[in-house]
Amino acid sequence: MKPLSRHLRSLATSSVLAAVALAAPVASAQDVLVDKSEIRFVAKQLGVNVDGRFRKWKANVVFLPADLAKSKAEFDIDLASIDLASEDSEREIRGAPWFDTAKFPVAHFSSTSIKDLGGDKYEIAGALTLKGVKRDVVVPVTVKKDAAGNRVAEGSFTLMRLDFNIGTGMWSDTKTVTNDVVVRVRIVLPPAT
Amino acid sequence: MMRCVRARYSGVAIALHWLTVGLVFANLTLGLSMVPLPLSPRKLQWYMWHKWIGITVFIVVCMRLAWRLYRRPPPHVAMPDWQRRAAYGSHLLMYVLLTLIPISGWLYSSSTGIEVVYLGLLPLPDLVPKDRTLASVLKWTHYALNSALFALVLVHVIAALKHHFIDRDGTLARMLPVAWTRSHP
Repeated sequence: MKPLSRHLRSLATSSVLAAVALAAPVASAQDVLVDKSEIRFVAKQLGVNVDGRFRKWKANVVFLPADLAKSKAEFDIDLASIDLASEDSEREIRGAPWFDTAKFPVAHFSSTSIKDLGGDKYEIAGALTLKGVKRDVVVPVTVKKDAAGNRVAEGSFTLMRLDFNIGTGMWSDTKTVTNDVVVRVRIVLPPAT
Repeated sequence: MMRCVRARYSGVAIALHWLTVGLVFANLTLGLSMVPLPLSPRKLQWYMWHKWIGITVFIVVCMRLAWRLYRRPPPHVAMPDWQRRAAYGSHLLMYVLLTLIPISGWLYSSSTGIEVVYLGLLPLPDLVPKDRTLASVLKWTHYALNSALFALVLVHVIAALKHHFIDRDGTLARMLPVAWTRSHP
């Protein structure tokens, strides 16, 4: 346990940093409620759904329905923070045939455009960089309000793991682990101010 | 000797008993050999087969219990009261373990976030959430229940052999296939 004073000091530091960030001339990032948000994925292993998630990631999201041109979504995902079936499989997936987190610790997504599809539906196009490979992806998203007035954005897309050289060698057989991996993102933003 | 009128288990009961023996022995061997394997496609394949065999054991045991209610087992061979009670208790406990072991394995799989799909066709619901602490408890439970079953089976086998070779009372013979009994009178 950190002493309270240290907590307060780090809180003060982050407030200062937040204030500096807010003072920047670009549209301000809205703090994602990380505890309520999640980045999960599902792959099929021998025909069976296996699900996991990332414990650590950072998001920089600006969502202005009235001004989508100024809106953006950026994610940095700490690949080593993966939560899988067991410590054994987590160790395996950090290794060279899979994510190779020693060389490529972070996956990055950066939106290039956000389209309003009407109602509560949007489409986010962007680039995903994973294991040194950059690919365009399109993520359909719905944005709804929860009971507390938070804005909840949910979207999913399918990526082909072999496009990013994930699961090579003996793991490249898609009969063992399917090529398509469904990524599900749920981002909760505080009420619009 | 009264060998001719000796009451035997029914053919169905005998078949299901030896099917259970085969499946449990195969799955115990598979289970113990797959765990230390390094993670590989083969390891995943073995785990899947282990789950399929385990669920099959569960189904076979349910069939045995149903059959036992429909057709009562033959009366006991004459033996001391404590032996009869020990036999009853250990049989009951083996049925309980043979039911609980597959269930604990299924829940363990769910708690690691891996769905169980019987024979690749029938998905079983995930009754527990993915949870690391729960997973380690269920893994230990699965292992402990199996250890108990192993100990009990050992007692069961030793008792059967003792009745057969020392007491020579036909307890084992009534669970053996007819053909075997005929060729070894």
